[in-house]
Amino acid sequence: MHLTVVTDQTPGKIWRKRIFSVAAHIILIGGSILMLYPLLWMLSASLRPENEIFSSSSIFPSSITFDAYVTGWNGLRVHFSTFFINSFIVSTACIAGNLITCSLAAFAFARLEFWGRPFWFAMMLGTLMLPYQVTLIPQYVLFHNLHWINTFLPLIVPKFLAADAFFIFLMVQFFRGIPRELDEAAQMDGCSPWRIYWKVMLPLSVPVLVTAAIFTFIWTWDDFFGPLIYLSDMRTYTVQLGLRSFVDSTAESNWGGLFAMSILTLVPVFVFFLFFQRLLIEGIATTGMKR
Amino acid sequence: MTAHSIGVESRPIERAVTPSLWRRLWDANAPGYLFLIPWLIGFFGLTIGPILSSLFLSFTNFDLLTPPDWVGFANYQRIFTADPKFAQSMRVTLLFVAFSVPLKLAFALCIALLLNRGMRGLPVYRAIFYLPSLLGASVAIAVLWRQLFAGDGVVNDFLALFGIEGPSWISNPRTSLWTLIVLAIWQFGSPMIIFLAGLRQIPQDMYEAASLDGASKWRQFWKISLPLLTPVIFFNAVIQTIEGFKSFTPAFIISGGNGSPVNSTLFYTLYLYQEAFAFFRMGYASALAWILLAIVAFFTAFSFLTSRFWVHYEQ
Amino acid sequence: MTFRVDRRQFLMGSTALLAAGAMSPAMAQAERMRLIFWGGQARADRTYGVTDLYAKQFGTVIEGDFAAFGDYWPKLATQIAGGNSPDLIQMDYRYIVEYATRNSIAPIDEFVGKELDLSDFAPDQLEGGKVNGKLYGISLGANSAANLLNVAAFEEAGVELPTSATSYADLPAMAEKFNSGNKRPGMKLWSDNSFHEPGLENFLRQRGKALYTADAQLAFDVEDAVAWFQLWADLRAAGVTVSPEDQALDANDAIESTMITLGKAASTYAHSNQLVGFQAANKDPLTLINYPRVAAGSGGGHYRKPSMFFSIGATSPIKADVAKFINFFIGNAEAGAILGVERGIPCDASTREAIAPGLDAQSQAALSYVSNLGDLLGPLPPPPPSAAGEISNPLLRTKSQEVSFGQLTPEQGGQQFYDEAAAILARAKG
Repeated sequence: MHLTVVTDQTPGKIWRKRIFSVAAHIILIGGSILMLYPLLWMLSASLRPENEIFSSSSIFPSSITFDAYVTGWNGLRVHFSTFFINSFIVSTACIAGNLITCSLAAFAFARLEFWGRPFWFAMMLGTLMLPYQVTLIPQYVLFHNLHWINTFLPLIVPKFLAADAFFIFLMVQFFRGIPRELDEAAQMDGCSPWRIYWKVMLPLSVPVLVTAAIFTFIWTWDDFFGPLIYLSDMRTYTVQLGLRSFVDSTAESNWGGLFAMSILTLVPVFVFFLFFQRLLIEGIATTGMKR
Repeated sequence: MTAHSIGVESRPIERAVTPSLWRRLWDANAPGYLFLIPWLIGFFGLTIGPILSSLFLSFTNFDLLTPPDWVGFANYQRIFTADPKFAQSMRVTLLFVAFSVPLKLAFALCIALLLNRGMRGLPVYRAIFYLPSLLGASVAIAVLWRQLFAGDGVVNDFLALFGIEGPSWISNPRTSLWTLIVLAIWQFGSPMIIFLAGLRQIPQDMYEAASLDGASKWRQFWKISLPLLTPVIFFNAVIQTIEGFKSFTPAFIISGGNGSPVNSTLFYTLYLYQEAFAFFRMGYASALAWILLAIVAFFTAFSFLTSRFWVHYEQ
Repeated sequence: MTFRVDRRQFLMGSTALLAAGAMSPAMAQAERMRLIFWGGQARADRTYGVTDLYAKQFGTVIEGDFAAFGDYWPKLATQIAGGNSPDLIQMDYRYIVEYATRNSIAPIDEFVGKELDLSDFAPDQLEGGKVNGKLYGISLGANSAANLLNVAAFEEAGVELPTSATSYADLPAMAEKFNSGNKRPGMKLWSDNSFHEPGLENFLRQRGKALYTADAQLAFDVEDAVAWFQLWADLRAAGVTVSPEDQALDANDAIESTMITLGKAASTYAHSNQLVGFQAANKDPLTLINYPRVAAGSGGGHYRKPSMFFSIGATSPIKADVAKFINFFIGNAEAGAILGVERGIPCDASTREAIAPGLDAQSQAALSYVSNLGDLLGPLPPPPPSAAGEISNPLLRTKSQEVSFGQLTPEQGGQQFYDEAAAILARAKG
């Protein structure tokens, strides 16, 4: 993203720019080390003999072994690949659900006038505020009566019914940042609300849609409690449930497997993030041009 | 908010016929409700039932395994008059929110501004800075945090270079909460991404016009970036506050789920969880939950009221 | 739900299960049974080994589901509260009263002598599964509280290992020797066990008291609680134990955060069946010994505790089939060989004898420890009352930390622990 700065580049300005750039890189590199340390530590934990993981505080293992990756991948009764597939199914479905239904609701809240709008908006926000621990059992009863236990439906269907108020609120804030002249112009041309949503709002909202997709993917991928409660057949486990299966702190555990598979489960989210953040940037570029 | 109503505005011809009241109500409200249908189905089908059940349960004794007994306001009465742990957990949570939320947002905004500049290697930096948030609060993080903040941990090794002898940060009642605040700040990735998306949405031509007028970068930030970013700042502030009050997993995983040491990490939802699932008092836990809801709703309503003075929406 | 069925068939990993299901004899045998237990991968492997064996022999497919101890209880409570109770439930000594008095698990008495052959079963372990005179759980193994010792650290320091005669009064002298000879930076002799309920219980029993009476009252006095906190305050002052800050790193009794695993103490509290788990996470060889005596010759503090039970879900329609599987689990020699002593020492005498020769060194050590407690062994206490969990953790932990961090004196700590424990018991009675 280059700003076309139309001022004359005096030597002093160039120097100032350089100094700033160097300083920025120093800050960023220093910060990166802070951010990367845990990953390196996990990597080292996954490569060292299991009985060294807790006692040794050095980040360098005394000897390197890939055993943990083998016992992690094959160790449980179900291959870890199954958990990956399950997590992909759930995450992908949740992304679709969130993008479609949350943007619909957000458009209503951000751009349409209707009776009771502040009330519904408050209700929507209110659903964010109650700790999930106390709605867990009634929700379980509900899903049990629908015969959804031990399927992915309790994890997916709510997303298709815009149950994630976080994303509605997020999209509302971004939709409200889009200039009204655009949809008013469309309205003058006789566009229906649906066409304004589809042809004006969504194309201008690529950044927030990408953001929502990234967050949905990562949070679904990382979710533990929902799968723990609703899934009991190991063949339906998601990666986080699989990870937790290695370890019970009161008994013999496969710690190496936990760390090795933790590293592997990070790969898809990281790749997803790398890929989609690019989209996020490109998406904006077109927005800028359309204006 | 605008006074324009799409339904009415787009049908000026019909005014001559004076449509019936119902017709006008339909025209004025139908589009909004049509867009809201999925959410309404979810709200009435999935969400509201469990929420109302928990409200009902808050007036009962419910041990999870046998049917609940109605006890009126007894739970609430006990919480406010005879429960020192309620006060302690509220204190811990307020401290946590008061420090972690502003600091996390400040970090996220600064890094987002840095990463929004035209610089080499930005995608890599962005990914790296998001990494801690990818790790979440897992068992691995719990082990790691102990290795960092124990008496002989990495942090104290670093401080020793300057001749400072630090405590065992994570297990000293005076400092343990701060290690969780540091964790929360360290995982600033989500608000950072949202800030970035917000910055990206600001039309480039506004900056171009401003620099043609000779406005400095600093001035551009104050006059363009910041005002246009206020809806996003507002969103992040509200959401992070709500999430901060509900914060559960870090304390559950890292401090062992019992507020150790000496209740210094007894987060509100951790206490609630103990009551519900360890001590079999779901009714009491539900009452705690509704009190939390009231407090969070108060803070949220307050921020919405003040928002009209500083949040800038497109007119 | 076609989605689910297709997926299941598609992902059916162990085809043996399917094949066994298809081949099963056409008897009035339940086809499926749901089992839930806590544990990690090691326990799951052993458990599924037995369920596979059972499926092969009897055609009943057992759908096992497991979670770590901390995750297990909300999962189980949610399933039961949601009307979806598993048929077979692994139950803890701490919670069996809770679940039995609330009719979430069923009495098993009617199956004893029929589906369930308990003629060779250890009487004290059978007794441990009773609540109000009815049998609600079949013990899956006996274990006993124990101190783990880091053998290498003791040897390096030139200190002899504690013996079964060692008393708390011997620890300061032992610590002095350990501290002067110790080559490992930051390592102390003993972990600070003042927060640990089994330690307190052992201490009380040696003094002729107990934690709880059978009718859910406190079975000790304020002085006992004060003496307990004073004992550890003295040991701390004498340099026997780790610092309060270090001890607080061990926030949830997890193997990976105990003082011995972190290398901060040469000894830590545990249960005998955990030796294998500890050894896997520790580089140095470990062994186990009883808790110290409160005075020379005092005994009776230990007991053989049912490490965990199998209980039958109250709403299960196939209770007799479940009982039959429990019988197989505890009594079949082949099953016993697969299970080893991972859940504790088998309670069925013939199983115990059958598996003993094939055990590894640590399992042997655990077996001989539990079988040879001698005068240390006392009678089994009544199962803890329903609020015992809250008293053990967080109350005892919090009070002990307040004392060790100097916020309370041992006298105040003992008094407050006693008062608040009594209040918790009273509240639980409603």
